[in-house]
Amino acid sequence: MNVRSRLPSLTLVWLALVALSLGSLGLGGWLHGSPWLPLLVAAIVWCKCFLVARRFIEVGSAHPFVARVVAVFIALAPAALVLTSFFGDAIARWASL
Amino acid sequence: MSHAAQMSGTARRFPGNKGIWVGISCEFLEFAVMFALYFIARAHHPEAFVAGAERLSRIAGTAITLVMVSSSFLVAASVDALRAGLRPRALACLSAALVLALAYPLVKFLEIGWNLDQGIGGNSGIFFTVYYYLTFNHLVHASWGIIGMVWVLARLAWGAYTPEEHSGLEALGSYWHATDIIWLVIFPLFYVVN
Repeated sequence: MNVRSRLPSLTLVWLALVALSLGSLGLGGWLHGSPWLPLLVAAIVWCKCFLVARRFIEVGSAHPFVARVVAVFIALAPAALVLTSFFGDAIARWASL
Repeated sequence: MSHAAQMSGTARRFPGNKGIWVGISCEFLEFAVMFALYFIARAHHPEAFVAGAERLSRIAGTAITLVMVSSSFLVAASVDALRAGLRPRALACLSAALVLALAYPLVKFLEIGWNLDQGIGGNSGIFFTVYYYLTFNHLVHASWGIIGMVWVLARLAWGAYTPEEHSGLEALGSYWHATDIIWLVIFPLFYVVN
C-alpha cells in the first residue's frame, strides 16, 4: 500500500539540523570561555539527536526497546557534558585510580 | 504486517529488523564507553581540552557534520519515496546519499593531512589521543555504513524492495541515522566546546 510522502517535513527537519549545527558553531565563538556554553551546547546536541531519532528513525512508532535504547544514548553525552563542566573536579577525584 | 498497521501504533516494530538493532545497540554501547573515556579525560585535563579544540580544523568538522546530516536526510527521503511508490526518486535519493557519504572519508583524509602539517599527531597530548581514538572509530563505523549503502542501492536498483517490503532499506537507514547521531555528539565535543 502506498502512503503519502513526508518529504516536506523531512526537509524541514534537515534544515533545522543544518541551522542548529551552524548555530552551535557561532555560539562557540560568541560564548568562548563562558561557563554556560557547555549547557547550551548540550541542549542543542540533545535537540539535534532527538530530531534524527524522532523523524528519521521514527522511534515514535518503534518497539519500546528501540525507543529506550535511543533515548538513553542521546541523553548520555549532553548530561555528561553538563556534569563535567560544573562538577569536573569531583568527577576527576571520583574517577582517579 | 502492513505498513499502515505498523505506523498506526497498534503494532510497535523494529525499524528495519531486529538484527540491525542488536548491532546498533552494540555500537551505542561501544561509543558510550568511549564517551565515558572522553569525559573522564576532560575532567582530569580541562585546560588540555580547551586548548586542543582551538587547534582543530572547524571547517573539516563542520563539513563532516553537514555531510552526515544531509546523507542521513537523503536516506530518510529514499525510504519515504519508496513507501509512497516513487521508486525512481528513492533510487535518486539513495544515490545522492551515497555520493555525500563518500565525502566523509575524503574530508577526514584531508583533515588528517592538515593536522599532521600542524604537528598534531596521536601523541600530541591527551586531547588529541582521545580525538583520534573517537573519530577514527566513528570513521570505521561510517565505512561499514557506506559499504551497506552500496549493497542496498544495488538491491534497490534490481527491484528487490517494494513499497510493502523494504526492511533492508530501513535497516540501512536505521544504522546510518544512528551513526549520524553519534557524529552529532562527537562534533561539539571536539570542535565547539572550548
